Amino acid sequence: MSQLTLLILQLAFLALLWVFIFIVVYAMRSDLFGQRVRRMKEPATAGAAAASAGAAPAAAPAAPAPPAPKVPTFVPAPGTELSGPPRATTSNASRLVITSGAKSGSEIPLGTEPLTIGRSSDSSVVIRDDYTSTHHARLMIWGDEWVIQDLDSTNGTFLDGQRVTAPVHIPLNTPIRIGATSFELRR
Amino acid sequence: MTSTGPMTAAPDAPAPTPGRGIRRIRVPQKLRNLELFLLVFVCLINAFAVVLVQFGALGYADFTVFTLGAGLAVLVIGMHVALRFVATNADPFILPIAALLNGIGIAMIYRIDIAENLSGWESTAVRQVVWSAVAIALALVVIIVIRNHRVLQRYTYVAMLVAAILLLLPMLPVIGQEINGARVWIHVGQFSFQPGEVAKIALAVFFAGYLVSRRDSLSMVGTKFLGMRFPRARDLGPILVLWALSMSIIIFQRDLGTALLYFGLFVVMIYVSTGRASWVVLGVGLFLAGAVIAGQVLVYVNDRFTNWLDALNSTVYDAQGGSYQLVQGLFGLANGGLIGTGLGEGRPDITPLAQSDYIIASLGEELGLAGMFAILALYLLFISRGFRISFAGQDDFGRLLGVGLSFTVALQCFIVIGGVTRVIPLTGLTAPFMAAGGSSLVANWIIVALLLRLSDTVRNQPRLVI
Repeated sequence: MSQLTLLILQLAFLALLWVFIFIVVYAMRSDLFGQRVRRMKEPATAGAAAASAGAAPAAAPAAPAPPAPKVPTFVPAPGTELSGPPRATTSNASRLVITSGAKSGSEIPLGTEPLTIGRSSDSSVVIRDDYTSTHHARLMIWGDEWVIQDLDSTNGTFLDGQRVTAPVHIPLNTPIRIGATSFELRR
Repeated sequence: MTSTGPMTAAPDAPAPTPGRGIRRIRVPQKLRNLELFLLVFVCLINAFAVVLVQFGALGYADFTVFTLGAGLAVLVIGMHVALRFVATNADPFILPIAALLNGIGIAMIYRIDIAENLSGWESTAVRQVVWSAVAIALALVVIIVIRNHRVLQRYTYVAMLVAAILLLLPMLPVIGQEINGARVWIHVGQFSFQPGEVAKIALAVFFAGYLVSRRDSLSMVGTKFLGMRFPRARDLGPILVLWALSMSIIIFQRDLGTALLYFGLFVVMIYVSTGRASWVVLGVGLFLAGAVIAGQVLVYVNDRFTNWLDALNSTVYDAQGGSYQLVQGLFGLANGGLIGTGLGEGRPDITPLAQSDYIIASLGEELGLAGMFAILALYLLFISRGFRISFAGQDDFGRLLGVGLSFTVALQCFIVIGGVTRVIPLTGLTAPFMAAGGSSLVANWIIVALLLRLSDTVRNQPRLVI
C-alpha cells in the first residue's frame, strides 16, 4: 500500500462518513424545515366553506393573510343553545366530524387516546394549509372529559368562535375552527 | 370507553374497516425501508473502517473484517427485522446512527489491539463485538417486552429502588471492585461490570414518573427574586436529596463523572417538567459549590483540578496520577490535524486507556478534525432525534422520559469529550456506543430500545390528512 493510496482511502472514508450524515439530515428535512404547505387555491371557496359553518361571517379572506380573531362579531350558530350542550366525555363522544374545509364531511372515531392537530406529519389530524401551525392544538382527556389546548399557534384555535387561550372543556356538537377547517365532537 | 356500536369494532383503524372477504392492503413500511437502506450503508462504512485499519497498521487485509464487521452487521440487521414486526413506526434514524458509532468504535478498538499485539479472546475488539451482541439482544428483549412505555410509569418507585441497589452494589465487600481509585465496578467471575451505567436508565424512569406527579407543586409557588421565581424551601427536598446522592458518589465511590451525570439529569428533567430556569440556576450553583468544596477536601478531586488547570506543567505531567494521559491525548489530537493521520497510521496507543476513556482522542488523531466533527454530528443527530421523539410525545411521562434518556447521552458526551479536550476536568466516563466496555454498551443500547419504543407509540400515523 503506497502512502498515496492510503491517503485517498482515508479521504474516501471521511467523505463517506459525511455523506451518511447528509443523507440522514436530508431524510429528516421535513422535521427541520417544516412540512410543505398546500396553498389555498381560491380564497372564495375557503370563505364560503367557513361561512357555511355558520360561525364566521367575517372570514372571507381576500388576502392569504390570517383572519383576525373575531370574538366581538361572534354570533352563535342557530340551533346551539349557549347554556348548552353537555361536555364531551370519552363515554358520550365517539367521533370527530369535519364540518367545513377541504375534507368536510369526513370523520374519525375517537378512542381514549389524545389527538394532536397540526401541519407536521406526526400529528393525528394533519391539516396542510397556510393557517395551521406545525403543532397547532391538541385534544386531551382530563379525567374522562375532552379538553382542547392551543399549542401557541400563530392563527389560533376557536371554540365556538372564542379564541382558546387556556385548555377548555369541549361541549358536544360545538364547532372548533382551525384556519378554514372546523370540526365537532359528536356522539 | 366508546359507546358500544359499530365504531368500537376498530377504534384504531384509520380507514373504513374492510369487510369480510376483502384482503387487507399491505402498507409498505416506508420508515423501515429507509432504516434498512441506512443500515446497509452503515455496515459498509464499518467494514471499510476495519479494512482501512488493517491496511494502515498491518499493510494487508485478512478475514478479520468478517468477524468484526459482519458480526455487528448481522446483529443490527437482526434488530431491524425484529422492528419490522414489533415497532413498525419506530424512528428510522436511531438504529443506524447507533450502529455506526458502535462500528467505528469497534474498528478503533481493533486498531489499538493491533498496536498492543492482542488477539483472540485477549482482544478487546472481539470482546466488544460480544458485548455488542449481548447489548443488542437485551435491547431487543426490552423492545419486545415493553409494548407501551406507559407501563414504566407504574414502576416509578421500583425504578428508584433498582437504581439505589445498582448504585450500592460496588460498595459491597466481595463483588465490589476498585479500579484506578474509583469504586464503581462489580466483579463476578470473569466479568466486571459498572452498574452505575444501567442505574442512569432506572433513574431517568424514576425522575420522569416522580416529576409528572409532583411538578405542579414544584412549579406553581415560590418567591420572585432577581427576575426569577425561586421555589419554596420546602420544595427543595428532592433536589437536595439528589445533591446529597451525587456528593456521596464523589466521596465514597470517588467518581466525579457519574455524580455530574446523575445530578445534571435530574436538574434538566426538573427544568423541562416545570419550565422554570431557577431550578437550573439552583442546580448548577449547588453542584459547583459541592465540587469546589470537594476540591478543597478530597485529594483526588484536587488532583483532577490541578491536572486540568495546569496540565502542561512538567511537574504535574510527571507526577504519579498526573496529567500524562490528558496531555498525551492532546498531543494525539494535535498530531491528527485536519484530516488525521489515517486509520491505523497514528500512535494513539501511547495514551493510557486509548480504547476506552480516551477513544475520542484516538479517533481524533486518526480521523482528524473532519472525522471528529463527523462523530460529533452523529451524536448530535442521535440526541436531536431523541428530543424530537419526546417533543412529539402525547403523554407527559413519555415526553419526560425521552428527554431524560437523550439528555443522559448528551451530557455523557459532553463530560467525556470535554474532559479529553480539556474543557472541563477529566472524569472517567465512557463515550456512548464507542468506548470499550460492556456496561456502557448495554446501557446505551437499552436507551436505543426505549427511544425506539417511545417513537413507535408516539408516531401515530396521521388518522386524517386535510
